[in-house]
Amino acid sequence: MKLKQGSFLWYLYLDKLYCLLSVRNVKVLVEYFHLLDVHHNNTLNDVLFYHFLHHVTNWKRRQIMIVFNMLDWNAMGEIGFDQFYMLVCILLAQQNHLEEQFIFRHSRPVFELLDLEGELRIGADNFHMYNFLFNIKKQELKELYHDFDVTGDRRLNYKEFKLFTIFTMDKYQERQKAEKENEKKRKKEKKALLKKKTHQVNVSSKQSSFTNRSESRI
Amino acid sequence: MEEKPFRASLGSGGSDTSRPDNDIRNLWTRATLSQSKLNVPLPNVCEDSDLEDSSPHSKTRRWRNEKARRDSDGGWDHGEYKDGFKQEELEDHSLLELQLRQESSLGSHLEEGDVDSKTEIEMSSSESSLNILKHTPHRAYWVEQQNRLPLPLMELMENEALEILTKALRSYRSAVGRDHFLTKQLQRSIEGLKRRRSKRLNLLAY
Repeated sequence: MKLKQGSFLWYLYLDKLYCLLSVRNVKVLVEYFHLLDVHHNNTLNDVLFYHFLHHVTNWKRRQIMIVFNMLDWNAMGEIGFDQFYMLVCILLAQQNHLEEQFIFRHSRPVFELLDLEGELRIGADNFHMYNFLFNIKKQELKELYHDFDVTGDRRLNYKEFKLFTIFTMDKYQERQKAEKENEKKRKKEKKALLKKKTHQVNVSSKQSSFTNRSESRI
Repeated sequence: MEEKPFRASLGSGGSDTSRPDNDIRNLWTRATLSQSKLNVPLPNVCEDSDLEDSSPHSKTRRWRNEKARRDSDGGWDHGEYKDGFKQEELEDHSLLELQLRQESSLGSHLEEGDVDSKTEIEMSSSESSLNILKHTPHRAYWVEQQNRLPLPLMELMENEALEILTKALRSYRSAVGRDHFLTKQLQRSIEGLKRRRSKRLNLLAY
């Protein structure tokens, strides 16, 4: 998922630690929500919601309606500002590649979102349906159910899900460290290359000046 | 006044440690911790400085501090240069030699120091009042700024909302018809946004 460049949401950002919007950003978001709330119900119906997401993301209609049904947890046919705020946080987390951190920080609300039937358990189907939202790949899903389904019922309860979020968070942090180290190595190599080049240039310039002098003598 | 330092310098250097509370440096540090201490009358401060044991070490320190303060008023580079030079002096020469030089000029420096401390207190109070004066007239402005959103952001939001709602209007018309009250409500919102946009454009044109 990519947010449309130059759109209003594109200018918002999440706090990297808590994966939430700042108060200022929330204030701005409230104003934006009220602009879209043309019927003055403090809600957005499915049509307005669809056109909003269609405008700011590259999601298809099917994906948008899945998200709407997920957020319309009261089955009112409308979503309020709380759900809208949650959606914006999820979008921004995806945009900024903070999915693992977001799921770790907000494991309970995410679990409740994924638990469509309210059975306090998430099946593999739920995850498949929402993998475009949290960017969970198929291979990771297999590992998830293989490693964390402690009870063996092929579904995850909240504790198992929480363990999964902790594990993915650790993996994410290790990846970040490895990336930083790789960057450092690359910088060092670049520096060394530059030094070599400058040294070569100096040597060649010295040689050329020497040959010029000897030629002039001759 | 000038005789006192002579007598003080001849005395033993034990009382500096015995009366740490009367050290002027402690007074100043305590003053910065609590506002009430700033109201310490100047004569008390001067008395304390007179009563303070005038061992060579304390005198040289005080003299150094006062000199540094005066120099810093003149300019950063000038003061820093002088401080650095003083440090080198102390390292190179013995303390007794320095004391002999100081005793002759200490009286005048002490007086200047008193004047400096007085002006310092006045300056700090005037500065604080200046700061208050600076902020008070602008408070209303800042309060308003805190509540308002920046205009470019409002413009961006309204333009985007207009695009979204215009597309939604087409869906409404096809789904529930042109005459439905929801369609009319949406149409009114779109017209309101368009009016606001045109007002803004007209203002920009002027």
